[in-house]
Amino acid sequence: MTKILLVEDNEMNRDMLSRRLQRRGYEVIIAVDGQSGVDMGQTESPDIILMDMSLPVLDGWEATRCLKAGAETRSIPVIALTAHAMSSDREKALEAGCDEYDTKPIELTRLLGKIETLLAAKSPGKIKAP
Amino acid sequence: MSELTLPPHILEKIQHALPAELLHDLRTPLGHVLGYSELLEEQAEEAGYEELLPYIRRIHAAGEQLLVMLNENFRSGPKPTE
Repeated sequence: MTKILLVEDNEMNRDMLSRRLQRRGYEVIIAVDGQSGVDMGQTESPDIILMDMSLPVLDGWEATRCLKAGAETRSIPVIALTAHAMSSDREKALEAGCDEYDTKPIELTRLLGKIETLLAAKSPGKIKAP
Repeated sequence: MSELTLPPHILEKIQHALPAELLHDLRTPLGHVLGYSELLEEQAEEAGYEELLPYIRRIHAAGEQLLVMLNENFRSGPKPTE
């Protein structure tokens, strides 16, 4: 089962997105701030990380930099999630090391497409069911 | 003192600019309306509550209408300086 680490501080966003992903067969683990996200990235070995960018303790950009600097975590794909639909936010997220970018409100079909594309690129030849 | 007048194109830009934080604060609960109504629709369909579906879809459509209005009519203004 694909394990997704969702790093999100907003309780309703967390609840909503985790339920919708679980209904599609993904295992979802949760971190509520950037530092916990980095820690869980190291200890839980998720297949992919969904990273909100406006986070307490350590913001999403800094958390992504930490994950991409770690030998054990740098290959985990990170999708940045932000409500700011500005092109500068996209560039900023990609500069921090995020592999993809998506805007809130989440359009689930679009997000699922990005998740599956990144997972397929990570494990070429391996077709992974959720 | 003379009255300050601004060229129409500058005035229009100011009127349609919302502070980035406000735009964020409007989009977040709107995301909850859209996301939870989609979740409700899926669950109602699965559980056979067909009579609820038109109402849930109306809530979702209203949320989408608001999102389109926000996206088409307002752009993100500068973030407040700290």
